Amino acid sequence: MTMQTPTKPAKKPVGPIRGFFKGISSLLKGMGVTFKYFVHPSTVVTQQYPENRETLKMPDRARIRLSMPHDENGYHKCTGCHICEDACPNRSITVVDRKNATTKRQEIDHFIWRMDSCTFCNLCVVVCPFTALKMHGDFENSVYDRRLLIYNLNRYAGPAAPALAKIEDPEERKRNIDERGVYSGLIPMNGSAIAGVRACGKPPESEKVRVTEDDIKGESP
Amino acid sequence: MNETTVWQVKTIAQRAQEALPDSVWLSAGYIALGLVGAGAFVALLGMVLIYAERKIAAHFQCRMGPMRVGWHGILQSIADTLKLLLKEDIVPENADKLLHLIAPFLCLLGALLTIAVLPMSPTLQVADVNIGVLYISAVSGLGVLGLLVAGWSSNNKWSLIGAMRAGAQIVSYELSATLALLVVVLLSGTLQLSKIVESQAQGWWIWRAHGVGIVSFIIFLIASVAEINRTPFDIAEGESELTAGFHTEYSGMRFAFFFLAEFINMFIVSAVCSTLFLGGWMPFHIGNLAGFNGIMDLIPPGLWFAGKTSFIIFLIMWFRWTFPRLRVDQLMKLEWKLLLPIGFVNLFAAAVIVLYNLYFFPK
Repeated sequence: MTMQTPTKPAKKPVGPIRGFFKGISSLLKGMGVTFKYFVHPSTVVTQQYPENRETLKMPDRARIRLSMPHDENGYHKCTGCHICEDACPNRSITVVDRKNATTKRQEIDHFIWRMDSCTFCNLCVVVCPFTALKMHGDFENSVYDRRLLIYNLNRYAGPAAPALAKIEDPEERKRNIDERGVYSGLIPMNGSAIAGVRACGKPPESEKVRVTEDDIKGESP
Repeated sequence: MNETTVWQVKTIAQRAQEALPDSVWLSAGYIALGLVGAGAFVALLGMVLIYAERKIAAHFQCRMGPMRVGWHGILQSIADTLKLLLKEDIVPENADKLLHLIAPFLCLLGALLTIAVLPMSPTLQVADVNIGVLYISAVSGLGVLGLLVAGWSSNNKWSLIGAMRAGAQIVSYELSATLALLVVVLLSGTLQLSKIVESQAQGWWIWRAHGVGIVSFIIFLIASVAEINRTPFDIAEGESELTAGFHTEYSGMRFAFFFLAEFINMFIVSAVCSTLFLGGWMPFHIGNLAGFNGIMDLIPPGLWFAGKTSFIIFLIMWFRWTFPRLRVDQLMKLEWKLLLPIGFVNLFAAAVIVLYNLYFFPK
């Protein structure tokens, strides 16, 4: 038996008369679609942006700014595990961890996100085992100095929310926590070189070292 | 039948003629009014139509169109005109300078000359030529000369291809448009536009002649959309194929003239269409319903004309923002294999109807 090449089933030919009316009906159908858009102003998708700034609602899945959500007690879920840092395709995330003074367990010190080099690929959010990260749609991020695009995402250095919840005494909890601001990362904002944050691009596997607290002690102002 | 209202047609040219024995200056004033009025009308109409087109197109595509300049962008056209006036007028180095200069004016000239004979209302018509229909179809063919000259003088392959396509297209579709016009000329028995309008006092030609009017209306609409190079027949300036076709090498004021001519031609086509098929400035009447007809007569004829013309303009814009562009061979096939035979059969049917006096509401 010879091999048969599969052929596309032939289309039923449409006669000239039927084709004529079919063409006209399809043209009318198209006109109906556009007319529906014309008479329903609610179908307009354009946003009058500066005017509707108050009511503008960005889509839930907008990937514009990385954030680390903090719960009602002001605790985040980041454990400083570096998985997002490894997943980041161009090293826009630098996680600096530290050892907790009492429990000797690893915890987050700085979570530095470089928006200036970020590709907004969402991989860090996807890989995070603790769902500590989130992308949201806050798009008004223009600044005059690109160093202002380097954010520190965690508002405190210390254990993650579940670990903090195990500590009964509020005073003890406070002792485990150090305050961190948006720009209180390892980046000096006074114009000198950006210390502690590596350049973009993945380094070779042999050079793959983590920045630890000891590395940056001398560099940070 | 219903001859309650008798429309007195008085054109500006007639007024000038009547004033001549008394005062030369009054006569000259009327002539100046006609000239300046036509020019001002064209400029104003261009701006209004461009704004309307942009707004309508936007809403067909779920957009909003111009919103920033003035209330809902109503001053956008003025801003654009000022911008075009101030822009640098670039002439290509190897272009035929003289022809390059006169092409946009030729284009606009055809449009301007036609405006003069359009009966906009019994009192608003610059001149009433007794061969009005012939004049319109002859003068509007002048526009294609402008396109051809523009394409030739630009010394650019896109321009040349665009111009040749425009030439082929307009020459082909002129036939169908003229055949459709002939039907109305047959039915009304005159070439004079004001007389054609008056012949529709009993009913518009589109439905007075047993479907013949409707067929010729549709043929005229298709053929004239093709004649003014608008989508779906815009192969002469198809952006994806020819950048901008014949006006690729034009900028600033001269480009604005082409743009203006295009929109004025759209108005002219709509105006001719409404004059010949939809009764022009004649109000809508139904048989012997005296009350209804009386109410319709209250609306001034100028408004009737404006309304009918705007409706057809809207229809043409609607086509533009819905239909895909035709290929060159499809375009020619549509004309020579479809519209032209139908046009001939339709003309023959109209002749039979006129011969045996078969149309509705006979006098």
